[in-house]
Amino acid sequence: MRTKILAALVVVGPALLLAPVERRIQAERKHLKYGGIPVTRQVREVIGQGTAMALLAGFRGVVADFLWIQSQTFWEKREWLRQYRNIELVTLLQPQSVLFWDVGQWHMAWNIAYGARTDPANRTEAAGIKREREWQERAREFLQRGIENIPHRYNLYFAMGWLYWQKFSKWQPEAYARAAEYFGRALAFPDAPLSIGRLYAHALEKAGRKRDAYAYWKMLWENKNQPHQAWNVVEREVKRLENELKIPENERVFLPSRP
Amino acid sequence: MTERVGFSMGRVGTIAVNTFTESVRQKVYNILLIFALVAIASASFFAQFSFSEQLKFVKDFCLGALSVFGALIAIVGTAQMLPAELENRTLYTILAKPVRRFEFVLGKYLGSVLLICVSLLIMAVMFGGVLWFKEHKLVADALAGATGVPADELPQTIRQIRAEAFDSDLVKGALLIFVKLGLLAAVTLLVSTFSTSMVFNVAVTLMVFVAGHLRGPAAEMWAHRPVALALLAAVPDLGAFNVADDIIIGNVIPWRHVGLVAGYGLVRIVILVWAAHLIFSRREI
Repeated sequence: MRTKILAALVVVGPALLLAPVERRIQAERKHLKYGGIPVTRQVREVIGQGTAMALLAGFRGVVADFLWIQSQTFWEKREWLRQYRNIELVTLLQPQSVLFWDVGQWHMAWNIAYGARTDPANRTEAAGIKREREWQERAREFLQRGIENIPHRYNLYFAMGWLYWQKFSKWQPEAYARAAEYFGRALAFPDAPLSIGRLYAHALEKAGRKRDAYAYWKMLWENKNQPHQAWNVVEREVKRLENELKIPENERVFLPSRP
Repeated sequence: MTERVGFSMGRVGTIAVNTFTESVRQKVYNILLIFALVAIASASFFAQFSFSEQLKFVKDFCLGALSVFGALIAIVGTAQMLPAELENRTLYTILAKPVRRFEFVLGKYLGSVLLICVSLLIMAVMFGGVLWFKEHKLVADALAGATGVPADELPQTIRQIRAEAFDSDLVKGALLIFVKLGLLAAVTLLVSTFSTSMVFNVAVTLMVFVAGHLRGPAAEMWAHRPVALALLAAVPDLGAFNVADDIIIGNVIPWRHVGLVAGYGLVRIVILVWAAHLIFSRREI
């Protein structure tokens, strides 16, 4: 018995001394934003006991994947509220996953919104459109939360720009300006794809800022350090805007073709 | 008068290699390893998703399998060592020779670590193979136009697939899984020094496994209860080793943090093995 007490003291004593190290590890994990929300009673009720146990045993990623795959099944069955619940839950479990925020908002603004608009239960077409816009608005608010969680990567800024361009431009006059703003923020990241730059220029033009769009296309043309750039598109746009804006010959990149 | 023999790393090594060989011959080990390899291989069957989703699923499931089956191998492999030695009476033959009890305990532990290391390597090779296969399939699909990516964005997409498939940070995740499994083996060894039943050893270590993952949130909840915190101190914080999920979703894992967690694990292991030695050296055999 004395030996067991001694062994217990050997385990507990130095372990107490390790408490500051454990606190430091926890603080670093918080600072580096590892993990997600803790497994509260509320979360446990939503995901079930078995899944909660898997979560507690350290399989957060696997649990999130299972819920994500399940949300795909809900989509196929047109059970949008259940799908939405799973998407929200997955982003709570892994708030640092770009994938879940990005594809989640796409489901809401594109798939669920379309499903809600064309739902036979809608009494009028206007009711369907109202429901569609509500889902698009929900997607925007969802994506905003995603950006707050992951402000250090370009992906969600681009997704937000694309959402404004594709969905809000139909019913909000300032949508293209907002799209350009978000594309511009995505472009601040060095790993942002070149296609976002081209979209940014298009969005500027659609927002009524043709001069700014031209200046951007011109800048793209003059930047030769991009081997994968779609030069044919850049050339076409520069030429078109030089003609449309009647740019003086001494400022042009391409001289106008003479008849 | 009996002459006290000095500590010999050679004897420890011999016991470790012997322990490893015995464990590998166990049916339960081979079955667990086969299950692990099947689980890892089946991770490549998610096909109706985007390439980012498919790669995330493969990595999550493979690293999950690595962690689950690694833990089972570590616990079951270590739990049967001492009871089997006692039951087969081979322990008496060994201790009758000039072998110190500490050498025996350390040798057993290192044999278990060798078993974990080899198992993890086999599973990691399988994981790498599955990832390689998935990456090649996704690139081939993109080149064949099956993904609907425009031609001018194809090089960018292929670069993205390759970058997402093989992330060198996965090594950090695997390293911390290895330390965590070593820690579990040390807990099992400690339990098996005062128990004679393998089932009891496995059950207690599984409870420690669950409690270890609950430690972080529990310590936060009981921050103002010193007695509860002192009791909690005996259980290692296993949640600290879970960085694989964060690596997969693209979070940055600095080497400094990996070093801190691994160092914490190693200190815990030393404490547990020392406590196991204390009990075993006083045990009447």
